Amino acid sequence: MPRIIAVLLAMFVLGGIAVPAMGVSSQEIFREVRCPTCNTPLDVSSSAAAEAIKDFIRTRVAKGQSKKQILGALEAEFGREVLATPPKKGFDLVAWLVPIILVVAALCVIPFITRAWARKRAADAPLPPISAEDAARLEDELKNHPQ
Amino acid sequence: MTDPEDDIGGDRRRLIGLIVGGVVVAFIIGLLVVGLVAGGGSTAIDDALVAGQRPPAPDITLPVLVSGPGLPPAGQQASLASLKGTTVVLNLWASWCVPCREESPILEKVWERYRHRGVLVLGLNMQDLSENALAFLTKYDITYPSLRDGTDGSKRDFEATGVPETLIIDRQGRIALRITGQVTDVRQISVPLDQVLAEK
Repeated sequence: MPRIIAVLLAMFVLGGIAVPAMGVSSQEIFREVRCPTCNTPLDVSSSAAAEAIKDFIRTRVAKGQSKKQILGALEAEFGREVLATPPKKGFDLVAWLVPIILVVAALCVIPFITRAWARKRAADAPLPPISAEDAARLEDELKNHPQ
Repeated sequence: MTDPEDDIGGDRRRLIGLIVGGVVVAFIIGLLVVGLVAGGGSTAIDDALVAGQRPPAPDITLPVLVSGPGLPPAGQQASLASLKGTTVVLNLWASWCVPCREESPILEKVWERYRHRGVLVLGLNMQDLSENALAFLTKYDITYPSLRDGTDGSKRDFEATGVPETLIIDRQGRIALRITGQVTDVRQISVPLDQVLAEK
């Protein structure tokens, strides 16, 4: 009997831990929603408008709604502008692609610039001093082959 | 001796580098310009009012939150243009805004006093959740109608810096007065409203 109780207790405790891990956290949604008055994500905003939306999210999370449902409800209330990150479709794709394009363009340009710098530095560098032996050889060559 | 072909290749590479760099810089500058133009706060309404003019009220079309005289039922779209011929006291508000709550009895008083003279006190709820907005209207016994804007569109159109803000729009659909911030005395509205109503 005590063993059965222990097993049931363990299931209860583990089950209790598993439930919030499976569901969405309010904090996770706060990061993805923009405060309409200060334009920052809710998790870093404490404005009155942000707090009202945080309450809205907490209530829906407590009711067991999914992240998609909650974000959808907020989008219906405030329009797409309420999302802190633009959706990866249509014109909003530009917001995702531009940084990638800029990085790729920079990576393409860097080799040209570094090569040009290296070439310029090599051209500007002073010639190493010639050894006495080489100087004698050069003198000799010039004497023997004046042209 | 350097190879002339190497020089030509180097020049070409330099040219390509310059073109790519130029395009990237032009693109970034373009984005900044678009951002500034789109997000730049215009002051055309205030400038006109300061100059003694009456700028036309932006022609906004928004869903009705709570209906009233001259407006379609709640949920349907209403436009300010359709209210031409009516003097409108337009109040920008949100349920989370404490000054909006404090000034609401004054606006209610204006509504009670002037509704029979053809004045429409019209709320414009913005940056707010509709369920909170409706709860606010019930809690504070507000009986004048309201429109609702979940986006920043009308805020931009009215060049508002925030809530609350109150505007008097004359019969011709022009802005006659703008009060930025909380209305603390009924005379702030009644005195200019009487002047606007006295106009032929």
